[in-house]
Amino acid sequence: MRPRWQDDPLTRESRALLRSAGRHSAARCAALCLVTATATGAELLLPAALGRALDLLLAQAPATRWVLCCAALVLLVAALGTAETVLHGTVDARATAWLRRRTLAQVLAAGPRTGDRFGSGDLVARLVGNAAQAGAAPAARAALLAALAGPVGGVVALALIDPWLAVVFLAGAPLLALLLRALARDVSACVADYQRVQGRIAGALAEAVAGRRTLRAAGLEAKETARILRPLPELSRAGREMWRVQGRAAAQAVAVAPLLQLGVIAVAGLLLARHRLSAGDVLAASRYAVLATGVGVLVGQLSGLARSRTAAQRLGELHTVPAPDHGERRLPAGGPGRLEFRRVTALRGDRTVLTGVDLVVPGGTTLAVVGRSGTGKSLLAALAARLADPDDGEILLDGVPLPELSRRELRAAVACAFDRPVLLGDTVGDAIGLGLPGPSPALVREAARTAHADDFVRRLPDGYATVCADAPRSGGESQRLGLARAFARRARLLVLDDALSSLDTVTEHRITQALLAPGARGTRLVVAHRAATAARADAVVWLDDGRVRAVGRHAALWREAGYRAVFGVPTGEESDT
Amino acid sequence: MKRDRARSGPYRRGLTFLRRRWRVLLRLGGWSVLEMGQTFLLGYALARALDEGFLAGRPGTGLGWLAVAGAGVVVGAYGTGRVYGAVAALVEPLRDRLVERVVARGVREADDGALSGLTQQVEIARDTFAGLVMVSRSFVFTAAGALVGLFSLAPPLLLVVLPPLAVGVALFAVTLRPLARRQEAYLVADEALAARLGAVCPGLRDITATGAEDVIGADLAVYVEAEERAARALARWSVVRVASLAVGGQFPAVLLLATAPWLLAHGVTAGALVGALAYVTQSLLPALRNLVHGLGTGGSRLAVVLRRLTGAEGQPGEAEEADGQAGKGTPAPDRPASRTVTSPGRPASRTVPAPPSPPPPALRLSGVTFAHGPHAEPVLQGLDLDLPDGGHLAVVGPSGTGKSTLTLLAAGLLRPGSGTVTVYGDPAGARAAAARRVLIPQEAYVHTGTLAENLSLLRPGPVPRRELLAAAEAVGLTPLLERLGGPEAVVDPAALSAGERQLIALTRAYLSYAPLALLDEATCHLDPEAEERAERAFAARPGGTLLVVAHRITSARRAQRVLVMDGPRTAYGGHEELLDRSPGYRELVGHWDPASQPALALGDADGVDAVAGAGLAGDGRHVVAHGPVGQVQRPRDLGDGGALGGE
Repeated sequence: MRPRWQDDPLTRESRALLRSAGRHSAARCAALCLVTATATGAELLLPAALGRALDLLLAQAPATRWVLCCAALVLLVAALGTAETVLHGTVDARATAWLRRRTLAQVLAAGPRTGDRFGSGDLVARLVGNAAQAGAAPAARAALLAALAGPVGGVVALALIDPWLAVVFLAGAPLLALLLRALARDVSACVADYQRVQGRIAGALAEAVAGRRTLRAAGLEAKETARILRPLPELSRAGREMWRVQGRAAAQAVAVAPLLQLGVIAVAGLLLARHRLSAGDVLAASRYAVLATGVGVLVGQLSGLARSRTAAQRLGELHTVPAPDHGERRLPAGGPGRLEFRRVTALRGDRTVLTGVDLVVPGGTTLAVVGRSGTGKSLLAALAARLADPDDGEILLDGVPLPELSRRELRAAVACAFDRPVLLGDTVGDAIGLGLPGPSPALVREAARTAHADDFVRRLPDGYATVCADAPRSGGESQRLGLARAFARRARLLVLDDALSSLDTVTEHRITQALLAPGARGTRLVVAHRAATAARADAVVWLDDGRVRAVGRHAALWREAGYRAVFGVPTGEESDT
Repeated sequence: MKRDRARSGPYRRGLTFLRRRWRVLLRLGGWSVLEMGQTFLLGYALARALDEGFLAGRPGTGLGWLAVAGAGVVVGAYGTGRVYGAVAALVEPLRDRLVERVVARGVREADDGALSGLTQQVEIARDTFAGLVMVSRSFVFTAAGALVGLFSLAPPLLLVVLPPLAVGVALFAVTLRPLARRQEAYLVADEALAARLGAVCPGLRDITATGAEDVIGADLAVYVEAEERAARALARWSVVRVASLAVGGQFPAVLLLATAPWLLAHGVTAGALVGALAYVTQSLLPALRNLVHGLGTGGSRLAVVLRRLTGAEGQPGEAEEADGQAGKGTPAPDRPASRTVTSPGRPASRTVPAPPSPPPPALRLSGVTFAHGPHAEPVLQGLDLDLPDGGHLAVVGPSGTGKSTLTLLAAGLLRPGSGTVTVYGDPAGARAAAARRVLIPQEAYVHTGTLAENLSLLRPGPVPRRELLAAAEAVGLTPLLERLGGPEAVVDPAALSAGERQLIALTRAYLSYAPLALLDEATCHLDPEAEERAERAFAARPGGTLLVVAHRITSARRAQRVLVMDGPRTAYGGHEELLDRSPGYRELVGHWDPASQPALALGDADGVDAVAGAGLAGDGRHVVAHGPVGQVQRPRDLGDGGALGGE
């Protein structure tokens, strides 16, 4: 059992993460452990001291020393509590931030390899929520000793006062545990009910948001709002039911601890009547009974730790995505951008997508990649830009294998544009110049002009200074900005993965004319869905089932019915995705 | 000054909210009294049990008093259960109001954020508000129970316990606001980090491709660090909580011991002293602890969420051009300065003819200029256009040239920077105009509900079945209608194809009383035959006036007039005339169909460049590319009308 547990790379990874996060605040964690343990010790001593002082006071004996002792303990608990609060909060904050930084660095380094496996919403949830949960682990672990010492110490103290007290407590405790579980029971049914109605309202709202124009143009907002809100009374009913059930469970739970405590006091009282205990002992026993019921807190802390560990595993998953290594080599200066695939085989998951692809794109020419959907066109493009690595074979740019290039050199030499680019940067201008060291406004504007984006950017509220998030964009406009971003890099290899698909035909024609004109700079690899694009390339590689079916000029390939079928010509519409 | 008012706003509103629900508060108080009784008995019965029972050698009496305390616990627990019901009566109305607001705003402003508001933030508000009510109520009644108990045991006990408790509570109250500010700063930093990550994470591939890892990493690190700083500041300020707990909760116990000789000398019994210590350590301290922790975090969380849910409301009204429309609708008649004076007295109802002046055109744009902002270049400039009643106009052009902006102006969703847009003589934003035009945008609106509900949305009441079926037949909805199971069948929009949704939207528009139909690529997901049928149905509609942003060249050929929008090459005329006269139109027609390759088949690689003749023009292929079905083109707000529709 144990070896397998340790062999699991994910568990190992997540444990190592938590360990490192703890080490990052090692001194603080040690201090926290010491502080909480001392505070718990003081809390355990306090009832005994209180009882002793009370007895002396009742006996009219000099009790100043014990009263002072109590005062000192209270003061100590308060001071340690202060230190604990600060330490706990600080360790949590540091560990969380450390985990986030570490995981972010990994996510950014692995790039699309992470993006392909995890949805972006999921990633955000992991980096925000899970990191915070996992970040709570080091402090929780450091405080665990104290959390354990409290209840255990309470029971031991009861036994020291009189064994019967501990017996009563321990006999009643299972009852406590049973009843506490009631809280978790039938709440879930009405929660589901509530969420269902809520989902109906949310669904209707989502529909109305999508149909905003229809509604606004007809002035139907109020009417539709009323319709969407029709299930609201039902939601209200479900909500009230939820509280009712919760109330019932809470009523059971709140009664248990005081009843247990009263039981201990009753036994202590009987012992007092027989003069086996003093009044001070009764006071101390009632306090210790409370400390012992703190077992609920311990359970909470343990489940918190379990939650942290699960969260750490979810972070660990991100760390198991391999980040690519980069070499130190540079490209030969002024190279033409010759791209070469040598027996390249690539898998997606367990599926072989590309098999034994051999391909040479001479410098300065344009290669169109054509094929039915799912034949590996996009993967081929991603491999050429080293957004993915082949599982076998190699890819060379101007004779240098891509992994041997430094990251800076690689990214300066290869530019990409995508079907659905994500534009990052504060302003539209920043988004075009992303990743470039100090791009000049002239360069940005020139690139936008080539991508036929300049016109609409200038129509934005603040032109190139328009905040990206505020820039209204359609799919085609995003694509043009994405193209501009690629053009701005003036790279020797330009990879366009379906990057013109949302453009209207006139705009596409205008762009490709400039881009693919003979004499245009650099080598171009273009994943194309339209025959017109393929027709304008110097050569076409026709992919079929992950293999190169043919390489040649579009006009020559067009004679093949199978090739024409790729564009949906004889059989009708081509399926696009 | 202004800030203070904004700050007091929510509190005042909160007080009004509570005042209106005094009955619920009363109920809440009533059930809480049971808990108060429990607290009272726990100390009082303990004291009596010791004094009159165990210490007096009468264990029976002692056990009796403890049994009374036990009964108090049970009754108190019952009260706790009922308190939840009262809390629900406070919380659920608040939740209802928040949901109402969020939905109303979501529909009005077409805000995607409203969805997360509805499912997440409203729930946070609900939970935190309930938590706050529980915690503060519990403190008040527990403290009252304990203080009454102390007073009943021996009034001097109160003298010892009350002052430090008051100081502790006061200390907490004084520091509540700075503490809440730290808490709020933390929440804000956390959300800022989440928002930033939400923007970055979808673009991991783009980051790698542009080599921007370092830039983006550095940018994110700033947010991570800001969050850490806020968390640490919060941790430091939490010391205040510990201090107020120590003063108000723990110090009284020491004070009781220190003053014990004096208390015992003044008639306080041993049992009373033990009872007082029990009150302090077992009732007051936990209640204060819950208050200090619950109020500190919950209060600021609620404040942040409520501000987000309700406070953001006022702003978009001014910021968005589109929203200005709503306000413009009403005062328009008082503004004779606009050029709509040509038919100023036209009544809203169409049944009254206006014989003296010629009827106003269905749609008129005079000198219309539109830009997305004061610093932006205009999308439309000085556009004049008349669409007569009963006319049929097609609008064509490359994306981004303002075709959709034109329809959105006509639909009253955008307001021109200068010039006027009138619909049958009324300003496009006026309510009267809304009743006389119907917009069918590319993204068809279908809601979950019966087909009949969907189809009669634009009518004041339900549509007679026969009329409904006739409309379905005219537009071409009948096969879908039969497949779904008739007008009373419930439709699930997600289960329909984009084309089916468009058919429903078209039929709905066909059924509306509005004479002017604005089809903004409303048929882009239909096949050419279905498109033709729908368009012809609209053209044949009694009194029907049609403006079609064309998706295929066939749409343009069917229209009486064609408007080519292409910046400086904008042209207007009939189809044949434009082919002759407008190079822009010729180019559009030429590239209508990039996929069919008659020229290439002849071996001419550049054949696609050739201007196609009339033979190509009618093949019904796509004018304007659109993404694959299912691609989400999600506009951020309505202000982007022009840009969105362009695709």
